[in-house]
Amino acid sequence: MRLSDIDRGDGIFNRLLIRFISLVTRMRLPDAARVAFYHKDFLGAPLGVWTQAAMRGPSAWSIGERELMAAMVAKWNSCAFCTGAHGAVAAKEIRREVVDAALADYRSASISEGLKATLAFMEVMTLRPMELTAENAKPVLNAGISFEALRDAIAVGAIFNIVTRYADALDFALPTANEFERAASMLLKRGYAS
Amino acid sequence: MARSNSPDHHAFADALRRRVLNGPGETDPITRQMAAERAAGGPAIAAPYDDLARQIGEAAARVTDEQVASVLRTVESEKAVFELIAAAAVGAGLQRWRQGMKVVDEAADAPK
Repeated sequence: MRLSDIDRGDGIFNRLLIRFISLVTRMRLPDAARVAFYHKDFLGAPLGVWTQAAMRGPSAWSIGERELMAAMVAKWNSCAFCTGAHGAVAAKEIRREVVDAALADYRSASISEGLKATLAFMEVMTLRPMELTAENAKPVLNAGISFEALRDAIAVGAIFNIVTRYADALDFALPTANEFERAASMLLKRGYAS
Repeated sequence: MARSNSPDHHAFADALRRRVLNGPGETDPITRQMAAERAAGGPAIAAPYDDLARQIGEAAARVTDEQVASVLRTVESEKAVFELIAAAAVGAGLQRWRQGMKVVDEAADAPK
């Protein structure tokens, strides 16, 4: 973590809260949660409510599929923290071997054709946004994905193009596999709105 | 197009943009907006903000300690650095949001 203020927490309440949660969970509170608490009304609040709606709100996509989308965006952006964190949540909803296969090559993974086509759209949106055209939407729609579901996926993609960038700019500490696993259980149970 | 079942992503995106790029903070909203535009491929801005904002937009995984430290030496506040990092990240993310929505709307309007 490059900013010690975030590591410690801003204000006595957040400092105590970070210590309390770390004590109760017996693990270091992940940097993603520390950022969510920090200067909260500036970023954590408006981004948290959108993330909660996009990742846990009504959608044609399952929670596992949306978490896999988040992990894929993280992978394309080379964000190790977010790939690990959201891959771990996806693995609780989809089988771990499917998540790992998708992260290695989503085109050959055992996921639906609609999800593959949507991930192809999201890959261009993430890596070469100005090359994205209506032509990229056609295979998604031809695979039976609705406009509404594609918009939901674009929201997930946009959110994690934000999160991965600040995670890496701030140099989030990388949890262990066991800590990712436990944090994933908390994210599934509690969601994103802090 | 029925959108009744999905969250109002447009409203959430707009609220995020207004808060991070236009709302109150330790940094000037104009500087935040310029950092957001730079991270979305926009014009160069003043040093040392330019290097950090451009890097966050292009490849945040390659941001260095020195790029962050250089901005911290200038603004002398970690909260201000955080605001500028958040602004650049939001700029890059919302650029993708706008582009995604634009092409989906084009696809929806295309003759069947």
